Amino acid sequence: MEGETAAIHALHSDGATRKRIQSLGLFEGRRICVVARAPFSGPLLVEDVATGARVMIARDLAENIEMESRAPEGR
Amino acid sequence: MPRKAADEIVIALAGQPNCGKSTLFNAVAGFKVDVGNFAGTSVAFAETRVTFHGRKIRLIDLPGTYSISSHDLAEKVARDFLLSGEVDALINVVDASMLSRSLEFSVQLTEMRVPMVMCLNMMDEAQRKGMEIDTSRLEELLGIPVRTAVAVVGTGIDEVFRQAIRVAGGVVPAVEPRYDNDIEQALSRLLAVYPQALKDALPLSERFVALRLLEKDEDFERKVGASSPDFLARASEERHRLAEREGRAETLALGSHRHGLVLDLYEKVVRHRRGNVLGTREKVDRFIIHPIGGAITVVGSLLITFFLAFFLGNAIAGLVDVPFGALRASIQAMPKGMGPAVLIGLFEGVVAGAGIVLPYLVPLLVLLAIFEDTGLLPRIAFMVDGILHRVGLHGSSVVPLILGFGCNVPSIMATRTLENPRDRFVTMMVAPFVTCSARSVVIIALAGKYLGVLATVALYLFGGLMSMAVSYSLTRSKKRKSLGVIMEVPPLRQPYPRIVVRKVWLRLREFVLVAWPVLIVSSLALSLLSYAGADATINGLLSPLTTSVLQLPAAVGIPLFLGLFRKELTLIMLGAALGTDAIGNVLSNGQILVLVVFTMLYVPCVATLAAQWREGGFKTAAASALLNLGVSIAVAGAVARFVGAA
Repeated sequence: MEGETAAIHALHSDGATRKRIQSLGLFEGRRICVVARAPFSGPLLVEDVATGARVMIARDLAENIEMESRAPEGR
Repeated sequence: MPRKAADEIVIALAGQPNCGKSTLFNAVAGFKVDVGNFAGTSVAFAETRVTFHGRKIRLIDLPGTYSISSHDLAEKVARDFLLSGEVDALINVVDASMLSRSLEFSVQLTEMRVPMVMCLNMMDEAQRKGMEIDTSRLEELLGIPVRTAVAVVGTGIDEVFRQAIRVAGGVVPAVEPRYDNDIEQALSRLLAVYPQALKDALPLSERFVALRLLEKDEDFERKVGASSPDFLARASEERHRLAEREGRAETLALGSHRHGLVLDLYEKVVRHRRGNVLGTREKVDRFIIHPIGGAITVVGSLLITFFLAFFLGNAIAGLVDVPFGALRASIQAMPKGMGPAVLIGLFEGVVAGAGIVLPYLVPLLVLLAIFEDTGLLPRIAFMVDGILHRVGLHGSSVVPLILGFGCNVPSIMATRTLENPRDRFVTMMVAPFVTCSARSVVIIALAGKYLGVLATVALYLFGGLMSMAVSYSLTRSKKRKSLGVIMEVPPLRQPYPRIVVRKVWLRLREFVLVAWPVLIVSSLALSLLSYAGADATINGLLSPLTTSVLQLPAAVGIPLFLGLFRKELTLIMLGAALGTDAIGNVLSNGQILVLVVFTMLYVPCVATLAAQWREGGFKTAAASALLNLGVSIAVAGAVARFVGAA
């Protein structure tokens, strides 16, 4: 999954956490990819493909981000 | 904030964290405020008075915020200030290289109907990324003047302010952002029934108020509910309908539409040139975030910091020592008396500042400023987060704690970025255990000089382990799971010498203007006390601690006591208290070790305690002081027993 890009399908969290994730640009529909994983189960480094903006996000928080499964017809 | 003078205009800078707002502010204000490249550094208000194009301006640097919601305290404070009517014009500083994300905030700002100018900052960065921004189109679509700038080198700023002065006090954005039909229809239904009572109670744009309600802004719900509960109910209904149609939560009903609006805007004004963006910088970044490269970077940065301070510091200190040594000898040769006592006190204070602190402090400050400015600091946080998580630290507390290596005070202030009060408390308790530059000076000067390089490195590691142990034992019993880190990682930048110099100067100035006089006065007081024979009394009071527990000479009582004000004082006063700078002749290596360990761990300086009091209340400061005192007595006492027995 590293290096592969996919669009965010849904954010499964609410309130402040959701706001926090969104305020850093991780919205439904944005295409992102995982650039790196920190050692010792540290955070993921996620890049917004369109803007190049990077955000580090803890793995347990990242689990709330559901990615779109690749459409079978492809693009 | 003070009331504004009649002939003055008030201009506020608003923007997201890391957009270069503080840099712009400083470029205008001169050497007045600290600049940060690090997420969350500009949390407090800063203001300055300047004259631009013949107009007196009160310029206010608002805290960096991502949106205008009321969830976050800083966001609410900034928004309320912009809506207060006190602001004549608003400069929205935007990181051009992150335009798509920043536009979201800019659109929200235009909805407030305050005279506004956009400053597209970091245009060099955007161009490097291959972005072409059509600023005149952007101007047209947002209905506000848009000007480009590169704040770090100072270009474009003049024109931004010229525009701000032009719009100040009257010219609101010419365009109101239009949403898609669903939202616009809901809005027009609401505006049709907008009650007069609400217009009187809340003198703001009606469309803006309606939008806030559609976004479920709790603060506005309270404000509207107070005068017009029926309207509030209507708005909730509309929002509910919107949310239901889309199957989204009510808080998102508007946000996703605004997001669509912004994407549309972005696509109209930005073109991407592809292909040439992978430069050296990206290669360096790839190395740093790679597990192995990252480990090398983290360890390397620590080692570089350490050895630079150690070798360079020792070299400079050695140079400074020679002329002062001769002078000292001639002063000490004078007959005893009041006059020479004053002279000795003053002399030792001055020498201490110039000869001991500056050589070690300056290299550390330069490095820290470079780490901050290049964006290395958040990358280090990324690498070590996993480890720190195991000892119960919130991921985001990495940043405040790393800052603590410079000084514990900014580290305490940076805990504001932690949302969970428990995490914040723990971080504030751990922060004083991080070896700040003042204590580094003591360690390097004492351990480095008398115990050797290896012992000094070991002491640093020991300091790190102590912080982790404290964190671990504080969080072990707490069942509540702490939230993980989520933080922006700004692009790597080359350090700009101007900014590094400014940062170093700001921190140094604090030392020269505040701490150095304190050093000199304390040195003088100590010298006089000693002349009057009163130092024995204070030392006597402290002797249960110094002689019994720590097994040190009673004379170290005063230096340790003075260390409460400023840790460097311990070092500086030590020479004076022991009557010689050759401390190795008076104390054994074991005793020096005990002294260093105690200095590392006991109560942080008054400034840190004050910061804890301000940020976390009296109880936090008191608990932290007791914790430090307890740990230091236990650990240094144990070391003393061990060393004494050996």
